Amino acid sequence: MFYWTSLPFFRTFFQKGVRLLIHADDLLAFLRRCLNERIGPYREVYLPVKPDDHDSSAATLAPLREDSRPILDGYRAIDPVKLLLYGVRERVAPFDRESPAALLAGVKACDIKALEILDRALINDDFVDPAYRSWRDRTTVLSFDCTDAALTCHCTLVGGKPYAETGFDANAARFGDHFFLSAGTSKGKALLDLIRKHVRVDATHDKIPAAVEARRAEMTARVEAQNAAFERPEDYDHLKASSAEAWKEESRECVGCGACTHICPTCYCLILNDESRAANFIKVRSYDSCQWNGYARVASGASPRPRMDERFRHRYLCKLVFMKKEFGSLGCTGCGRCTEACPGGIDFRSAVRRLMETPPISRPAAGVG
Amino acid sequence: MKPNPYEAIPAVLLETVDETPLIRTLRIKPDRPVPFQTGQFIELSLPGVGEGPFTPSSSHFVTETMDVTVMKAGFLTDHIHKAKPGDRVGLRGPYGSSYPLAEFEGQDVLILGGGCGLAPLRSLFLTLLDEIEKYRSITFFAGAKTPQDCPYKEAFPAWRKHPRVRLVRAVDSVPPGEAWDEEVGVVTVLLGKLDIDPKSSPAVVCGPPVMMKFGTRDLLRLGFREDRIYLSMEKKMYCGIGQCRHCVMGEYYVCKHGPVFTYAQIKNEEGIWD
Repeated sequence: MFYWTSLPFFRTFFQKGVRLLIHADDLLAFLRRCLNERIGPYREVYLPVKPDDHDSSAATLAPLREDSRPILDGYRAIDPVKLLLYGVRERVAPFDRESPAALLAGVKACDIKALEILDRALINDDFVDPAYRSWRDRTTVLSFDCTDAALTCHCTLVGGKPYAETGFDANAARFGDHFFLSAGTSKGKALLDLIRKHVRVDATHDKIPAAVEARRAEMTARVEAQNAAFERPEDYDHLKASSAEAWKEESRECVGCGACTHICPTCYCLILNDESRAANFIKVRSYDSCQWNGYARVASGASPRPRMDERFRHRYLCKLVFMKKEFGSLGCTGCGRCTEACPGGIDFRSAVRRLMETPPISRPAAGVG
Repeated sequence: MKPNPYEAIPAVLLETVDETPLIRTLRIKPDRPVPFQTGQFIELSLPGVGEGPFTPSSSHFVTETMDVTVMKAGFLTDHIHKAKPGDRVGLRGPYGSSYPLAEFEGQDVLILGGGCGLAPLRSLFLTLLDEIEKYRSITFFAGAKTPQDCPYKEAFPAWRKHPRVRLVRAVDSVPPGEAWDEEVGVVTVLLGKLDIDPKSSPAVVCGPPVMMKFGTRDLLRLGFREDRIYLSMEKKMYCGIGQCRHCVMGEYYVCKHGPVFTYAQIKNEEGIWD
């Protein structure tokens, strides 16, 4: 993938005056002031917060409130960013909602990558999802470097890093007690300008400080170390040739609940419900899951994937083969949420490893033989 | 600003024709014309009930109204069968690929179909008839389970009179008490009566999956080219616009890259007949 910012000229251009260092407490205070004092355009701030009732490093995405306990860095939230931008259930026609600008902070690199896929899937030449676009247009995404990793985190196995280099409006990298902020888009630059206007900025830099680079490298090494047992293959085409027995074995504990797809940051399969009243056509889109039996079944009862192991296989192929072909990047960003959410305890990485190791079989020709 | 892809074009149901005990044709009039190319499909919604993909069964040269032939097969189609003239329905589309009429010009066109698969084929047939001088001949082999399951009963005698049309029907069986003086057997047996050159002729197939599978097999055996066998595939085309992913068939979306595929295009994909 080519990015303009990879050219030295553009890099200088982007960095000039749009990188700054502020104290972590000041940044959080600023986010609260956005709401309380109506600073800037952001009428809602979403970020990962700790659960109300206990201390945990696992956070959920929520609107910032007076009593919420945000975790801006750490590792990715339990729920993916799509939950906000591509709702579980949203009216999409007629769509005329005008909502105020929002700030989405604390997003991690795996979710930023997922947004890049969702952007390609939901805003393209053939199709624009009006609700997603509305969310996307009005939301400024402030990503944060990971400073911790969940046991299931494996971004490095799928070509990622525990910090975002592109795809954000603005990014915050932990730098001691401070955050080092940089802008990636004009929306991000507007945010940084606003911060500079209202917050004491300790310094501006024209390049990423060595200490930030060092911490990023350290974090990357940590994620790599916890995934040392797993391969990082060139491609996953071999999965297509894994035997039905191998898929049956891997899906043995799968109950077909669909938690993996609902929590996956790149799954966007939808159903469109007609909830019209009288003469007005109202369409409501909600999540669907390819793990459910009715997903691909047509009215006559025919289904291309009537068995659980076939649907299980479909998800793996979709994430690792189909989406790669369609969007140019894997449908897995290594967030590890599917593993975390699975009631059957199926570890995505382990399943892939074993399936990649099974001897290939030649599948019977699909046509008329 | 792109139009909202989820928004339906309102239409009114003008009349219904009962083709068979399970198949009914609806003539609808959209508030604004919905021009389509034969072979493409639309999403037809019944307000408050749901929405599903259907192929128009009228000629694409008819733009004021659109015929949609619907077989009762589930929740939505049950309700569609209950709709009355004057009822409001919604349309999205048209979507997907169409029959490549330009490639049929000057050719002997074979149309092979069965059951409710005759709906898109009626659209194709009527569209071809509207410009019949462009085509050398049309061979239309139509199948149904029993005589009373044959759709478009009224239209067949008139279609058959056309000099460039050869129309043969077969039913799987004739229950006692039903009259039938045409062929008996599965529709593919009619291929034994083919009098066109398979090597140069296009063949269009639509019907239940098993019929399409064996129809394709027999066409290949007769010498039809893989890239000249056109299949109207059916999968769950929920959204119609390549977004919901339900109709994914290997690397294809049936709704976007199909529903009309050549056999050569999809022969290696899994689950095409399921």
